[in-house]
Amino acid sequence: MKHPLHFSSECGRGALTPYRFLKLPLVAALTLVLLSGCSKKQTEVTRDIGPEAQAYYKAHSEFFHFATPADLPKDLVWHDGSDQPEFSAPEAQRGGTINSFISDFPRTLRYYGPDSNGDFRPYILDNDALTLTQQHPNTGQYFPGLAKAWAYGSDHCTMYFKLDPDARYSDGVAVRADDYLFAFFFFRSSYIQDPWLNNFYTKNFTNLTKYDDYIISISWREPIPDLDLWVGGVTPVPEHFYKDLGTDYVQRYQWRLEPTTGPYTIKPEDLHKGSYIDLTRVPNWWASDKPFYRHRYNFDQIHLQVIRDPEKAFESFKRGDIDGFGLSLPKYWYDKLPDNDPLVQKGYIHKTTFYNQFPVASTGLYINTSMPFLNNRDVREGIAYASNFDLIDRDYFRGDFVRMQTDADGYAEVPFPGIHPRPFSVDQALAHFAKAGFTKRGPDGILMNAKGERLSFTVTCGDPTMRDPLTILRQEAAKAGMELNLEMLDDTTAFKKVLEKHHQITFMGLTGTSVEKYPRYWDFYDSSNAKPQTDNLTNTADPEMDKLIAAYDKAQTMDDKRRLALVLETKVYENAAFIPAFKMPFYRIGYWRWMKWPKFFNVRFSYEPGQFGLDWIDEAVKKETLEARDNGKTFPPEIKVYDQWKTADQ
Amino acid sequence: MFRLDPITRRKLQRFRSLKRGYGSFLVLCGLLLMSACAELLVGSRALIVKYRGRYYFPTYAAFHPGTDFGEDYSYETNYRKLKERFATENRGNWMLLPPVPYNPYENSFEPGVYPPTPPSFSQRHFLGTDTTGRDLLARLFYGFRTAMIFALLFLVLVYAVGIAIGCAMGYFGGAFDLLMQRAVEIWSNMPFLYIVIIVASIVVPNLWILLGIVVLFSWTDMTYYMRTAAYKEKARDYVAAARVLGAGSGRIIFHHILPNVLSLTITFMPFTVSGAITLLTALDFLGFGLPPPTPSWGELLEQGTANLDAPWIVSSAFVAMVVILSLVTFVGEAIREAFDPKKFSIYQ
Repeated sequence: MKHPLHFSSECGRGALTPYRFLKLPLVAALTLVLLSGCSKKQTEVTRDIGPEAQAYYKAHSEFFHFATPADLPKDLVWHDGSDQPEFSAPEAQRGGTINSFISDFPRTLRYYGPDSNGDFRPYILDNDALTLTQQHPNTGQYFPGLAKAWAYGSDHCTMYFKLDPDARYSDGVAVRADDYLFAFFFFRSSYIQDPWLNNFYTKNFTNLTKYDDYIISISWREPIPDLDLWVGGVTPVPEHFYKDLGTDYVQRYQWRLEPTTGPYTIKPEDLHKGSYIDLTRVPNWWASDKPFYRHRYNFDQIHLQVIRDPEKAFESFKRGDIDGFGLSLPKYWYDKLPDNDPLVQKGYIHKTTFYNQFPVASTGLYINTSMPFLNNRDVREGIAYASNFDLIDRDYFRGDFVRMQTDADGYAEVPFPGIHPRPFSVDQALAHFAKAGFTKRGPDGILMNAKGERLSFTVTCGDPTMRDPLTILRQEAAKAGMELNLEMLDDTTAFKKVLEKHHQITFMGLTGTSVEKYPRYWDFYDSSNAKPQTDNLTNTADPEMDKLIAAYDKAQTMDDKRRLALVLETKVYENAAFIPAFKMPFYRIGYWRWMKWPKFFNVRFSYEPGQFGLDWIDEAVKKETLEARDNGKTFPPEIKVYDQWKTADQ
Repeated sequence: MFRLDPITRRKLQRFRSLKRGYGSFLVLCGLLLMSACAELLVGSRALIVKYRGRYYFPTYAAFHPGTDFGEDYSYETNYRKLKERFATENRGNWMLLPPVPYNPYENSFEPGVYPPTPPSFSQRHFLGTDTTGRDLLARLFYGFRTAMIFALLFLVLVYAVGIAIGCAMGYFGGAFDLLMQRAVEIWSNMPFLYIVIIVASIVVPNLWILLGIVVLFSWTDMTYYMRTAAYKEKARDYVAAARVLGAGSGRIIFHHILPNVLSLTITFMPFTVSGAITLLTALDFLGFGLPPPTPSWGELLEQGTANLDAPWIVSSAFVAMVVILSLVTFVGEAIREAFDPKKFSIYQ
C-alpha cells in the first residue's frame, strides 16, 4: 500500500492536496511548527537506550504486559486477508530507474520530530514503511503487512497480531515484538520533540501485550468501527537503530534514515544535499514475492532531482529527462500539454485521467470565530454567500474542479447528500450583512455599520498557486460589499500564524494520507481545541457540538457514527465557519510511453498514481521511443480516461 | 530656497539642446502626466453618463450602484454592459467610456474562453488578458504608475537622508566623520535582499513598508559622494567668508554648500530612478514585493515567464520595461553631459 509517489509535483502540491497534511495514524500536521530550541552543541557520545526503555516498561506496567502464548484467548478467529484480491499487474517488469523530481530538498530524513512532516516524508515513510495490517486500496478491507494474521478481541478494542517471521528491516534485522514495545516508549518520549505523537500514543492506546517474540496484542481506548486502521496502523521502531536516542535526537538523527520495512531505502552515498536523492530498492526485500506485494515496487531505483521551479521541471519532462508529470492543474492539461501537442500526437507522451475515491482535503475558507465581527453568525453566513467559488471552479479551473459540498466529502460510507454549500448570492449576502448591522455602502462600495466600521477582512494563505483564485474571490466579494485583503505569506509563516489563531480568515486544505472510514470532528470543532496549535482553525467552541462530538467519538457502530455525523455536519453547515471551496474528482498525468501501468491503471483509494507502486518501465520501449524521437517515427497517440471508480456526484 | 545661478541655467540650456535626452525627458513627463490621470484613459468607470436627462461623472466620484442607472444590482455599475443596454434601448441615454474600458483589478470571463486571452481589438483588450482575465494594458499602465510613485518617493527620501548625513560628515569632519563612516560601512554590508525577504514573509508589505525598508538600506551610497563634495567645498573661501560673517552650520550647509554640490546629485537622479524601478520589479517578480492584486510589472513578468505559451504577457511587460528604462537612461546621459563640470567649472 505504500510506495514512493514519483509524480509528486503538481499532483501532490499544486491543487489537489496542496496544503498541510494531517497525517494519520502516524504524525499530524502540528508537528511542523515546533520548537527550534535544543541547539546546545553536544559531542556525539554513544549510549544504550535499552535499560531506560526496560525501566519505562516496568514503570508503566498498566500498559506493557508480558504473557505467554497460552494466555491468548481461546476463541480468537485469525484473519489473513486471503479472501482479498490482489491488485497488481502480473505482467509488470522489474528493474530500471524512474526519473522524477522534488521541488525542494528535504530538511531532514527523520520520520519524526521538527521539520519531518514535509513533502518528502511519503517517499520514506507513509508510502514506504509497512504497518501491521495494510488497507486494500480497492475493497477497503485489510491484508497482511508486518503481521501475517490478526484477530479481534471480544472487547472490540483489542487486536491480536502474529508477526510475519520473514519481516526484516532493510539492514537485515528481523522485526520482532520488542520493536513494538520500543515503539510505544519511543513515541511517548520527549526526546523526539513531537507533541502530537506523544499525545496520540498516550491518549488512545491502553494496552500492549507481548505473548512471545512474534505475537502481540494492542488495545485502543474504546470500541470503534475501524480498529484495523488505527491499531493495525502502528509501526514498529527498531531499537537497535535508536540505541543512541537522547536529548540530541533531532541533530543526531537529522540525516540518518531509519532502516525500513518497506521496499525502498536511501544509501548514505545517494544523498546529495541540495541536488538529488536516489532511493534504492532494498536487495532481496522480504515481501518481494508475497501476495499483495509481488509485481509492485518495480523500479530498482527512484531518482529524485531537485527542481525548484515547476515550469523548469515541466520542460525537463517534455525533454524526456523526467518520466512522468502531474497534469491535474488545467493550465498544464489544456495549455502547456494540450491534446494536439506534437509530443502527444506523435504518441511519445501519453495522457491519462483517473477518477479516484479519496477523502477530499477540506479545502476552503476557515473563519476564525473568535475575531470581532466574525464571531457573528450572520456575518459568516454573509461571507459564505459572498464567496464566488462557483465562478472560480467554472471559469478559472475550467469546470475540472467541482464545488466541495461539505467539509468532509469523499467518505464513501458517510455521505451527506442533503447538505450543499451556500451559493454565491449578492442579495442573500447583503441580507445577512444587514442583519449584523452592515447596511450602508461606503463611497467605495464596501458596507459599513452605524459606527462607520467597514466590512473588511484579511485572508491569510501560504500557497502561491492560490493567489489567482483568491484575487477573483476578492473581486466578487466586493460586489456584496465585503472587502477581502489578501495576505499571501510564506507557507510556513502562514501556517504558523493560523495555528496560533491570529488569522481572521484563512484559505487552506487539510487532509489525511490514509483512507479513514468516517470524518473527524474532535480535531476541528471541539472546544478543547479552540486554542493555539490545534487543527480547530475556526476556533469553534460550542458546548452543544462538544456533546455531539463526544457521543460521536464513543459511537461503536457505523450506523451510529453515520447518524451523528449527519447531525454534526448540519451543525457545521449552520455554524458557517467553514466555506467549502473546490475538489478534484480525479488526477491526471502525462508520462512517456515507456512507463507502463496495469490495465485498470490504478486503484480506487489512491491520491497519486505512484502511490501503490503499480507502474514499471519497459526498457525496450524506452530505447525504441528515444530512437523514434530522433528519426521522426511516430506512434498512435494515447489519451485515456479511467472512470471505473467514478461516482454519480463526480 | 535658492535661485538658479547663471551656470545652472546654462547647464539646463545645454540639456535642452541634447535632442535624445530632452526628447526622452518630454516623453517621460508626458507618460507621468498621463498616469497621474490614468482613470480617464484606462478604467472601468465611464467618463460621462447621460441618463434620463441627468449627467453623471463617475470617474472620481463615489461609486454608483447599478440601481442608479436602472440596473437590478446594488454593486458598482458595469458601465460596459450599461452602454450596450443604452444602445439597444435607444432612449437618448449615452455614455463615454475611457479608451481602455477596464480597470486593472476586474476579471473578465467569457463563457467557454479561458484566460489568458490574446490581444483583441473587438474586446478592447488591446494587449490581451492575464491568467485571471484582467486587462493587460490596464495592469501595465497602473503598474507604471505604481513603479513611478515608488521610484520618485524613493528618490526624495534617499536623497534627503543621504545628502543631509553626507554633508554633515564632510562639513563637521573629525570624530563625527570617522564614526559615521564606520557606521555606514557596517550598515551597507547588511544583506539587504535577505532582510526584505524575511520581512515580506512575516508581514505583507504595502508601498510604505517596502519603501521604508528599501530606503533604510539605500541611503548610504549617497553619503560618500556628498561627504567628498562637502569636504572640498568647505575649504573654499566663500565658506570661510560666510563663517566670518557669522553664519551658522545649518545656513552654511544648506545655503552655501548645497547649491554648489547639487549638480553632482542631479546627475545621479535618473539612475537612481531606474534603479528603483528595477528593484521594485525584481522584488515583485520574486514575490516579495507589493501584495496581490496590486498591478505591478514584476508580477506580470513572473506570470509571463510561467506562461510562455501566452507570449503577449511577457512581451508586453518586457517591452514596457525596456522602453521606460531606456528613456530614463537617455535622460540620465543627457543630464550627465549637460552638467559635466569640465565644460563649465570656474575656479576662483
